[in-house]
Amino acid sequence: MQASAQPLIEDGRYGPLTEAAVRTFQASVGVPVTGVLDAGTKARLDAAFAALPPPVRAVLTLGSTGADVGFAQQKLNALGCNPRLIINAVFDASMMVAVIKFEVGTMGRFPTGTVDAAMWTALDTAVKGGFVAPEGASATPVEQNTPSGTANSLGTQVAGTSLHPVVGVGGLTQGPGVRELQQKLNKAGASPALADDGVFGPLTQAALQAFQSGRVPPLPATGTADKATWDALDAVAPGSTAGAVERQWTEVVGGATYGMTGANAARYSWEIQKTRMVVTAKVNFVGLPPPGAWFGHVQSVWNQYQGVETASKKSMPIDFQMVRGAGGDAKTVQVLAGSGRANAGKWYAADPNAAYTVPHEFGHLIGLQDEYQLHPGDFVRATGHEPPVGDAAGPAVAPATIAANLQAAMLARNSVNARAASVGAGVGEGAFAQRVVQEYAKLATATVPAVAAVPGPPPVPAKPAVPLTGELLFDLNAALPNDNDRYDTIQAFSYSSGSIMGDPGRENDPHDHGAQSRHIAEFMAILGRALGGTWEAKRR
Amino acid sequence: MILRLVIADGSQSPAVAESVEVSDDGVLTGWRSVSDGGVGWFAGQLPAGELAEIQALVGAVGAPPLDPPPPEAAEEVLELTATGPVAIAGITDGSGDWPSLATASRRLLDRLTDFPRAAVTVCYAAPSVARLVHRGTDPVRVGLGAVAVRATAWRGYYEPAGDWSGVVAGPAEVEARPGWTYDIAVGPEADGLGVDDDVIVHLAADFAILSGSARVPVRAKYTPAIAPPDALR
Repeated sequence: MQASAQPLIEDGRYGPLTEAAVRTFQASVGVPVTGVLDAGTKARLDAAFAALPPPVRAVLTLGSTGADVGFAQQKLNALGCNPRLIINAVFDASMMVAVIKFEVGTMGRFPTGTVDAAMWTALDTAVKGGFVAPEGASATPVEQNTPSGTANSLGTQVAGTSLHPVVGVGGLTQGPGVRELQQKLNKAGASPALADDGVFGPLTQAALQAFQSGRVPPLPATGTADKATWDALDAVAPGSTAGAVERQWTEVVGGATYGMTGANAARYSWEIQKTRMVVTAKVNFVGLPPPGAWFGHVQSVWNQYQGVETASKKSMPIDFQMVRGAGGDAKTVQVLAGSGRANAGKWYAADPNAAYTVPHEFGHLIGLQDEYQLHPGDFVRATGHEPPVGDAAGPAVAPATIAANLQAAMLARNSVNARAASVGAGVGEGAFAQRVVQEYAKLATATVPAVAAVPGPPPVPAKPAVPLTGELLFDLNAALPNDNDRYDTIQAFSYSSGSIMGDPGRENDPHDHGAQSRHIAEFMAILGRALGGTWEAKRR
Repeated sequence: MILRLVIADGSQSPAVAESVEVSDDGVLTGWRSVSDGGVGWFAGQLPAGELAEIQALVGAVGAPPLDPPPPEAAEEVLELTATGPVAIAGITDGSGDWPSLATASRRLLDRLTDFPRAAVTVCYAAPSVARLVHRGTDPVRVGLGAVAVRATAWRGYYEPAGDWSGVVAGPAEVEARPGWTYDIAVGPEADGLGVDDDVIVHLAADFAILSGSARVPVRAKYTPAIAPPDALR
């Protein structure tokens, strides 16, 4: 409603900026100015919001270009277009196929190959978002996110690994993981029933061995809950009120693969209590002790949500906590003196940005992947948004020319030239950049020769020969030196969110800020398995 | 050459681009771009004991592990004569052949700052005064046209007590020699910078080192350690 000076950040907090905006709105509609969103104000606000004019849509035909084409592509994707359309803001042959399918299959009309007013109505009714709205009194243009469906913000689980830690002989012998085992053995018919005490004693071991030998075909009666045993237990008893997770996961960011695997896997536990769910990441801090403020930073950012059961409306706050501890259920984090850029295993005691850094890294500890410099497919999966249309027009340089210039820069391992050919030429994140990605994929492949270390300054390490793959992000990462120019170049051809797992320093998205409900979807599923029903994450 | 470690990270600005190299006779050389011990060129001689330790670690390594680096990790490439360049960002400090070598190599970067040749560091010389100081024996050209300074005040054990940042204009180019210093006014006292006895101020000063025609952005840091209270040890 443009009642605030700048677009309000959707952080779920009724702070002074929000209150001031409420006052401005109340004054504008002539209700008592209280700064409180009372029933009368809310009714006027809802009415004013509903009265906002719908976005003006252009009629699109084969060959059309521009932002509206991108928004239509987003919506067709969100409605299940297969294969997904690249959000390139060009109405090409692949989009024509999707449009015709939608006309016939969804609208039930004779195909025209045109996104006309009727089709826009159908698309806008089915999928919200997909337009640019001026927000705040400053009329800041903000692209409204187009939801793509179910998000999965977790890193990609390493194939063949279990989400359960090994419990029993040679593994965890106490804690939530043992409680989960005991509860599931009980549901699987352990006799006598085990005490749910989280201690792996002789009775638990015997019950585990009995479960293992009772399978058809039998599992080795090792007395240790390994992956095969957990798989069998989960099939018999999916839910429990406590549990531990050991998540081996990887991600692709900026064309490079990162991960938390092996001894560095993400480890966390959860417990469903009477009135709340507690998620705990136990961290074995080595080096310096962690500053006390870090623990508060985690709670400040993450303790924003509750699970709500859709039918009964029963609610359950989700409380996250980081605790110090050691053992097989702890993740080791090295605390270094001074300041620097933290990573998932190395934090800095004097980090002046710890209020952001620590909650971000905590997200990794509970298995969440980064949400910056992603490929389009990873962005959709991780954020639950269609890739933004962003800059649809681009500079007055053909995408094919930019692609060729980028390849030449890569063959020369010259990041300055790569940046000049892209960001320097006016390429920004969005649809036009994806056209460059498409053109790059068409180029003949080549091999970047090996290079010896350069002493600099700045120094550059020796690199082996790199066969270019045609996949732009991978190739930029592999061929160019790891410097600011490479980072800026990759940024232009990838996607980032503004959430706590994204890059709020570069992506100012007031609608996707801080911890988002998608980040705690895993715990909604756990609640459903344990308590039944369907649970959704809602702001407290 | 026994080993060469290069660490690079373009996701932050100024970029991390640092190197350390140990020659067969124990000469240690390298460059630091983001450092507490000074930024610029460093060179010195490793004592025989340290050199022997490094040689033993290098001689003991087998096939490198293939674990991916953790999220947000910088690129770390360790080059040995026997192996060529090996990406080690996924190797955490610890025991074992590669973890031990990775740990020792990373420490060499810190060790490097004991041997300044042509470097500049920063210190908190007086309340609200950041001082750039030349280190080493050789001159170094620096660009101070726009020095971005961030001062962070801490109380107790890293409890935030104030924060100030600003850009200070200075000479576009100056040659820093032994004895050279340059003072920069930082932050009003209202920001808590050094007013109270129990406050410790950290600094980060971004400027450029000029090398030939290249202008290399660097960050000199001043981050004196804060001792943890007994309850946290």
